[in-house]
Amino acid sequence: MVESMSFLDHFQIWLRAYLILSLFSFLYKDNPFYKLSEHIFAGLSAGYYVGLIWQSVILQQLINPMFDGGQWWLVFPGILGILMFTRLSRNYSWISRVSLAFVIGNTAGIYLVSELHGKAIRQIWATMIPLDGGSGAASTILALIVITGVISTLVYFYFSKEHKGLMGATAKIGIWFIMISFGAHFGYTVMGRISLLIGRIEFLYYDWGGSLLSIF
Amino acid sequence: MASFWDNIQNIDRRWIYLLVAGAVLFPMIFVANFPIELTPESLQLYNAIDALPDSCAVMLTFDYYPSALAETEPMSVAALRHMFRKNMKVVTISNIPLGGPSIAERVTREIAKEYGKEYGVDYVNLGYKYGYVAVMHGLAGSIERIFPADNTGNLLRDLPLMQTVKNYDNIKFIYVVADNATLEYWISIVNAQYGIPVGGGVTAVMAPKMYAFVESGQMIGLLGGMKGAAEYERLLGILGTATRGMNSQSMVHLVIIFLVIIGNVGFFFSRQDKGKRNG
Repeated sequence: MVESMSFLDHFQIWLRAYLILSLFSFLYKDNPFYKLSEHIFAGLSAGYYVGLIWQSVILQQLINPMFDGGQWWLVFPGILGILMFTRLSRNYSWISRVSLAFVIGNTAGIYLVSELHGKAIRQIWATMIPLDGGSGAASTILALIVITGVISTLVYFYFSKEHKGLMGATAKIGIWFIMISFGAHFGYTVMGRISLLIGRIEFLYYDWGGSLLSIF
Repeated sequence: MASFWDNIQNIDRRWIYLLVAGAVLFPMIFVANFPIELTPESLQLYNAIDALPDSCAVMLTFDYYPSALAETEPMSVAALRHMFRKNMKVVTISNIPLGGPSIAERVTREIAKEYGKEYGVDYVNLGYKYGYVAVMHGLAGSIERIFPADNTGNLLRDLPLMQTVKNYDNIKFIYVVADNATLEYWISIVNAQYGIPVGGGVTAVMAPKMYAFVESGQMIGLLGGMKGAAEYERLLGILGTATRGMNSQSMVHLVIIFLVIIGNVGFFFSRQDKGKRNG
């Protein structure tokens, strides 16, 4: 497969390998190769986003439907969008609040339903579990752990009463649950970061190594 | 004079980077095979897909950036293999502008070719549309209204598959592969408000948070990071990139455990040494 690669394929692999090794070189110390790769990434991302927004929002969702599809009412959201640019002027920046008010109101309305209906209520409901779950002692123990964890963690975050006596003891149990949660998050984060490293080293070993072998 | 344990405490971190890089490379050079145990969550996701009727329509999302490819691409590849084996009709979509649509294009075409699937008949790549919350709501009414054309500009009305898949009513399952919060919106909007079953694979960083949604029944199954992808590959009986990567992962974990132990032992011994020196 490697032997059948074109010059362009080899060029792409070598360019990727150069950028990866340049970025990894920062682990030794800061250097011009790292800085160049970092700036290329920042510049490319910014350019890509500008092109993307122009194509997928301005053209596809505003100009084309207006002029080709006859949806003239889109002129109103278009004006709201243009008003956002008044933030660049010190004297007229207040006008952009009209657009912001629309965005905030709209977002709050949409998210209120999804957060409440899709998350808060369903998650509260999931903690209201029967102690006799049907699978014997194991499900009862698990249910007790869930209930203890939820209550003690909530107590830890209740700051209107001093954490003393029963309140303090429950909050301490809550800390244990929070710490175990942090541990799980940290372990998974390490695994995630190592996975990214594996991905890059696999590329260097198999793809770049394959390209090297086929050339020399 | 600094003791051995003091030196361990002050070791140049670049030696640790080198050690970790060596641990990643070692299983690639000297092939090692660490066992991969299955978790109930990955089995649940596999069974959910397996229980769907053959030839039904499903949605597969590519909600991830290229930076997370090592963890997420094997999940997408494994999901596609499972779906195409069952002759399912696959509609892919991306809520991530940078990478998602082109990754979906490349991966689906590669896997579809292996299974002899035809574009427009067996699978369609809708691509990306700005504003994922609005997109998720909009797809409930009409996919064609949100995506008049697919990722490469073909009109949806010209694609045979999209004549039968008009909105969520025609989709049996949504398989979300994500490296960001979009999965939460697939759950809180599409599952909660439209009742479509959602399952997914996420990066390891996101996995602990998502278990709560599996426990509450809002999500069917979960693949967490490269390990989750490797489990799915094992269930399908394929030797993919995640399975291969897990050998390096296990080796690095052994190195990290060793370093944590050495670091802690060094800390206690160097403190003891300092105590003795101070009399």
